[in-house]
Amino acid sequence: MKQQLNIVVNGEPRELFIEPKTLLVQVIREHLGLTGTHQACDSSSCAACTVVVDGMAVKSCSILALQVNGREVLTVEGLAQGPNLHPIQQAFIDNWAFQCGFCTSGQIMATKALLDENPDPTREEVQAQLDGHLCRCTGYNMINEAVRDAAKRIKAQKETANSEKGAK
Amino acid sequence: MSEYSIIGKPTPNVDGPAKVTGEARYTIDMTLPHMLYGKLLRSPYPHARILSIDTSAAEKLPGVKAVITGKDTPGGKWGLWRRFRELSDQQALATDKVRFIGDPVAAVAATTEEIAERALDLIEVDYEPLPAVFDPIEAIKDDAPMVHEDFPSNINATRHIEWGDVDAAFAKADYIREDRFVLEAAHPCAMEVHNSLASYDKGTGRLTVWTSTGSPYFVQQNLADALKMREGDIRVIKPHVGGHFGGKNSTMPDSVNAAILSMKTGRPVKIVFNRDEEFTTTEHRTAQHMALKLGLKKNGEIVAFEVKAMTNGGAYTGLGATTLYLTGTFITMPYKIPNYRYDGVRTYTNIVWGTSIRGFGSVPGKYCSETQLDRAAKDLGIDPLEIRRINAVAPGYTAPGQYTFESCGIQPCIEKMAVRVKEKWPKIEQDEGIGYCAFAYMTGGIFNWIDTPYAYSSAHIKVNWDGTVDLYSQAADVGQGHNTVAAMICAEELGIGLDDIRLHMGDTAHAYTDLGAWGSRETLMNGNAIKDAAAQVKQKLIDIARMKLGENIAYDFVARDKRVFLELRPERGVSYYDLVKDAIRHNDGVPLTGTGHYTPHNKGMISPAYAMGIMAIKAKVDRETGHVTAQDVLVVHDSGQIINPLGARGQTEGCIHMGLGYGLCEEMPMDQGMLLNPEFVDYKILRTRDMPEIEIMHVPTYEPNGPFGAKEAAEATIAPAAPSLANAIYQACGAEFFSNVLKPEKVLKAIRAKEAQNNATSQAKK
Amino acid sequence: MPKYRCPMCRKICSEHLDLARHYLGQTDKKHKEWLKTQGLSYAELIKAQVTEFGNKGYEALAEVLKKEAVVVDEG
Repeated sequence: MKQQLNIVVNGEPRELFIEPKTLLVQVIREHLGLTGTHQACDSSSCAACTVVVDGMAVKSCSILALQVNGREVLTVEGLAQGPNLHPIQQAFIDNWAFQCGFCTSGQIMATKALLDENPDPTREEVQAQLDGHLCRCTGYNMINEAVRDAAKRIKAQKETANSEKGAK
Repeated sequence: MSEYSIIGKPTPNVDGPAKVTGEARYTIDMTLPHMLYGKLLRSPYPHARILSIDTSAAEKLPGVKAVITGKDTPGGKWGLWRRFRELSDQQALATDKVRFIGDPVAAVAATTEEIAERALDLIEVDYEPLPAVFDPIEAIKDDAPMVHEDFPSNINATRHIEWGDVDAAFAKADYIREDRFVLEAAHPCAMEVHNSLASYDKGTGRLTVWTSTGSPYFVQQNLADALKMREGDIRVIKPHVGGHFGGKNSTMPDSVNAAILSMKTGRPVKIVFNRDEEFTTTEHRTAQHMALKLGLKKNGEIVAFEVKAMTNGGAYTGLGATTLYLTGTFITMPYKIPNYRYDGVRTYTNIVWGTSIRGFGSVPGKYCSETQLDRAAKDLGIDPLEIRRINAVAPGYTAPGQYTFESCGIQPCIEKMAVRVKEKWPKIEQDEGIGYCAFAYMTGGIFNWIDTPYAYSSAHIKVNWDGTVDLYSQAADVGQGHNTVAAMICAEELGIGLDDIRLHMGDTAHAYTDLGAWGSRETLMNGNAIKDAAAQVKQKLIDIARMKLGENIAYDFVARDKRVFLELRPERGVSYYDLVKDAIRHNDGVPLTGTGHYTPHNKGMISPAYAMGIMAIKAKVDRETGHVTAQDVLVVHDSGQIINPLGARGQTEGCIHMGLGYGLCEEMPMDQGMLLNPEFVDYKILRTRDMPEIEIMHVPTYEPNGPFGAKEAAEATIAPAAPSLANAIYQACGAEFFSNVLKPEKVLKAIRAKEAQNNATSQAKK
Repeated sequence: MPKYRCPMCRKICSEHLDLARHYLGQTDKKHKEWLKTQGLSYAELIKAQVTEFGNKGYEALAEVLKKEAVVVDEG
């Protein structure tokens, strides 16, 4: 029996009817067509499918869609503000933090959750947060640099916003 | 003013915006209206005769649209060694017998993936199990089961290389040592699994296939062989590819069976392997046995070298035969070896087959030769860096009948390494060591086993009225960053910006042939083709500029910063955009075009150019637990003129990740042909916390065969990681390794063996 | 200087050892089958060549070719 699922995805309320066994990743990729979230394993061990649910990084292959009923889900497609890339996205580009790009949305979404929590992480803290994210291309160091660069960009952005507010 | 305005500048990936926003479309993300899902039924036996297959129950399952077995396929065999037809040994579905656990025997197309999977369970296959063979030493015995008929003793390919007088040189050597090694297999582990989407047009009899590949052209040729169709009736499109690493050169049963199922049903069919299938049925780095004999003078000069290799080929050929060939070549680099002999044999066995994984032909061999060289150096009392310096080649070096290094920065690399190591690691603690490995690797292969009548690389450019450029090539960006390199080369040659260029890559219908991404070939070979195409357009623009400015033929023009101007009087010039408009007016309204191509000629047996360098790793061993930590990595690299420093760094970091994995944790244990760790839970690749920081230094050379002097950067630095690590542990505690994968139990065993040896020596002295 | 022709094809070499190298590099049935008529086995020769240091496989075949290869006059 299909059940109703009400979630907010990238700011848009969505109403779906799904089989209870449906995983969140299936809803994202197959039902909503948001294919920027990828799956690279069948054992919940690569973290490529990571999305942000109510501010927390979650492997979308390891959770039933109905478990996030009523919650807000952010995928990589929802990160940019209109035509402007999010500072994390820009930092990933500028630091060559991806090659094939297949695991990238998971890395970026985990970074989003990390920087919301810890705006100035060290190399070791980034390693700890992203340790479960497998990447076969980069060797991770350039991702780590991108995450710390993103932190600086977000901080600078906030300072600019604050000083503009102050000026007003 | 630097020589170039784009080449050599750190340039973010041109595919970056698509890849960070989720817009980049991979094959696995694609669907077509009315599409069916295909699945393959695979053999549970390593070697068995198929007696009968009953598909009737599966056919009756609602939602199933087609079930096929070997007899329903066109029956064409295929392989990458097309020039040697007997080595075209792959087939869509097994007909007579299965040759490894995972060999496909039937395929299903259904309306959902779940129904397709249920249908597989309903197919009844009656097998007669046959004796199987899993190791090359067993496979070559007289009474071994035959994996393929017509291949006695399972000999799939052999290779012999010899120059100089090896036996005479050994007779005169001051020091000789022999070492035997066993190298483990490793999986490429691309994040995107093999998958294909095929759409057959009943009306025209033409086929379109989207697939995760490194070479659309190889897939096109192989599909033509498999389906007995004309190449031109098959269009292969490579969308974004989620990793390749050499594991996506061969055409696999996903694309072939998706095509056959689409032909049967008249509907698009998509086949996606799951991760288990990816590990158990797609190609890996070959396991092998090696024996090395090294002869030196007292001063450390190599006088003779002999290498024997037996590779555990597996059920089919893939590019494994090429790997066997190249193993005999790269193991000699970058050293002067006056007398050399190599014999290699690749055996068929009843396991999934090995092929051309990143750094192919160099990774296992260099592990053996560079760890052996350290032991020899210690015996002779020579510093490990010094023995490499003594033997390293100079520019222009030729290995007789094999290869020539035109540009060659190995000596300056070693000198730079010697200086930097002293600064970087002034003090080495207890149980720490520094290990070295010198390396060299091809920049694109010369060999033509694929049997192409076309140029190895080609590119076509069209310049539109507004100055925008459409660049067409079958060249493949598989994550290595070739799209960025391609755009940079095109923009530099035309003197325009990256924003002027739009890429149309990896589609056999839109572009002339390029053999694809393997053997580090795209920068040099495709780069030369692009530069050639762009130079043709540039010449047309210069001709018009000369006319407009009324300059004599004697004066040279330069295209740069969106202008074409006199080299000696830069103020006299014309805007690129104006010239393009004039040129199109002069050309009956036809856009400007250039078609460039490149095929190496008279460049020896292997490659037109070689990247090289030396790596050092500082590592620590825990003598109680056997745990090894790679603490710090230093690379000095001659990669010619670097096109994109950001991309080159990314490639080197990625190589070291994979190379350290080969040395530390990656392995493919099998029991009777069954892989025991077919998931990321059990197959360990290094995680972010495992990665040391890496310092990369460059010794730029100018490679005359490369575009703007460039050489490869994608593969050379994988091979040195594991031997540098093993050598660091050898320096730290004397433990010797004759196999890769330094797991704690192996390290402890080696430490104990060394202690026992030391005790025995000191006892004897007493 | 005499030259020698492969018993199974038109390959000509100036040394029997080189001819043996050529011979074992051929993968066709014809070359493999002829070895049997000489009491040799393709697999055994390859095995000898690859499992032991030295040129044992080629040397064994070269001995046979010394008797069987046709001598071709120079020019």
